[in-house]
Amino acid sequence: MAASKKISLSEEELVSKLKSQDTIAIQALYDMYSGALLGVISRIIQQTEVAEDLLQETFIKIWNSAGSYDSTKGRLFTWMMNIARNLSIDKLRSKDFKNALKNQDIENNVDFIDAQKGVSFNADLLGIKDLVTALKPEFKAVLDMVYFKGYTHVEAAEELNLPLGTVKTRIRMGIMELRKHFN
Amino acid sequence: MEEAKAYIETGILELFVLGQLTAPEEVRVLGMASEHPHVKQEIEAIEIAMEQYAVENAIQPSAGLEQKILDKIKNTAPAVAKQEAKIVSLNPNSKDEYQSKVRTLRFALAACASLLIVCAAALYSAHNDLGIAREQIASLSLDREKFSSTVSFMKDNNADLNKLVSMSDDPDWKTVKLAGKKDPKDNMVVYWHAKGRHVIVNNEKMALPANDKDHQYQLWALVNGKPVDLGVFDVKPDSAHILLDMKGIGAVQAFAVTLEKRGGNPTPTMEQMMVMGGV
Repeated sequence: MAASKKISLSEEELVSKLKSQDTIAIQALYDMYSGALLGVISRIIQQTEVAEDLLQETFIKIWNSAGSYDSTKGRLFTWMMNIARNLSIDKLRSKDFKNALKNQDIENNVDFIDAQKGVSFNADLLGIKDLVTALKPEFKAVLDMVYFKGYTHVEAAEELNLPLGTVKTRIRMGIMELRKHFN
Repeated sequence: MEEAKAYIETGILELFVLGQLTAPEEVRVLGMASEHPHVKQEIEAIEIAMEQYAVENAIQPSAGLEQKILDKIKNTAPAVAKQEAKIVSLNPNSKDEYQSKVRTLRFALAACASLLIVCAAALYSAHNDLGIAREQIASLSLDREKFSSTVSFMKDNNADLNKLVSMSDDPDWKTVKLAGKKDPKDNMVVYWHAKGRHVIVNNEKMALPANDKDHQYQLWALVNGKPVDLGVFDVKPDSAHILLDMKGIGAVQAFAVTLEKRGGNPTPTMEQMMVMGGV
């Protein structure tokens, strides 16, 4: 039941409607950002079903903690993205999720292939692939770890066996490239 | 400017946007952002880039998820309902306010009532005190009257005594002793000043039975064998004056006292002759 008419509001309108608990704000946010947020979540949690549950949780948390959003501290999307990421990372690290992964070890591959098939129908994903390859691999690796995989930059430095300063520089350079690309 | 540029180049802003900083570090970044507009612009540029990156990496959720979310939100809409309930409960709040006002007024009323009782009690006690004071004033004024009457009595007595003293110094005053005719114990004294034609009787030096309310003693002067009326007087145990002025007379051979009807008689009743004495 995809909305036949996409709702799009300015950031200010969105924030004020969200804070006054107008459900139109959630509809608009969903129309504008559900894909982007699911993209972030899916990089951390691959299982489509779980990822969508997390997306649902994300929107409910956005709705319930709208009062705590402070526009002087950052853009609305950054706030929402951090909610999505934190919920996903919490899920990734939770015991029951780890156990479920172990138990479904064999099926996992099938799921993974299905998931890959699922995403491959998404036209947007084709664009990503192009972009991701456009990024230098050393930037992409670091950026994806902290942006999509839920690593802290310290963890990423350990994982990649790189000095912390190098990881920071690579994150910065990667984002600089993205900015160039989008401009 | 240089400071801001160097700060930007550390790459901390990217970590900030990626949510990689601790809370105190975030506070420092926000401080720098509010101080340096350039830092704020940089943060926003990074945010927009990450946002676009995320949008480029979007995965469309399955159909129906939006409805699920909206249903859940409307079910958690108790959150909204709660808020509405809170808004509605502003009325109970104002009712509370109203009730608290009523309570305040009730307190005020109770305070007024108790104040009234206290006032009434005070008034009653003041009224009692006033009554007592009035009685005291009455008794004091009675005392004062008694004193003043005593004083005037003593003044009169004093005047009489002074007169007696001056009379004894004056050789023209004659003291005439009247002896009892009916009862030998009766006696009295009359002072007579021939030149001044004064006749005075002394209540202190008078031993006569007290007269009743229908009778009075009458003093007579015997002039050439004829009685001349010198006036009436009473014999009372508590006579106010020592001396009593009678009618004057120039020449007299003797004084006599008879008991007559109240007001006196033109001629003496000889049978009622109480005392008599010659000059």
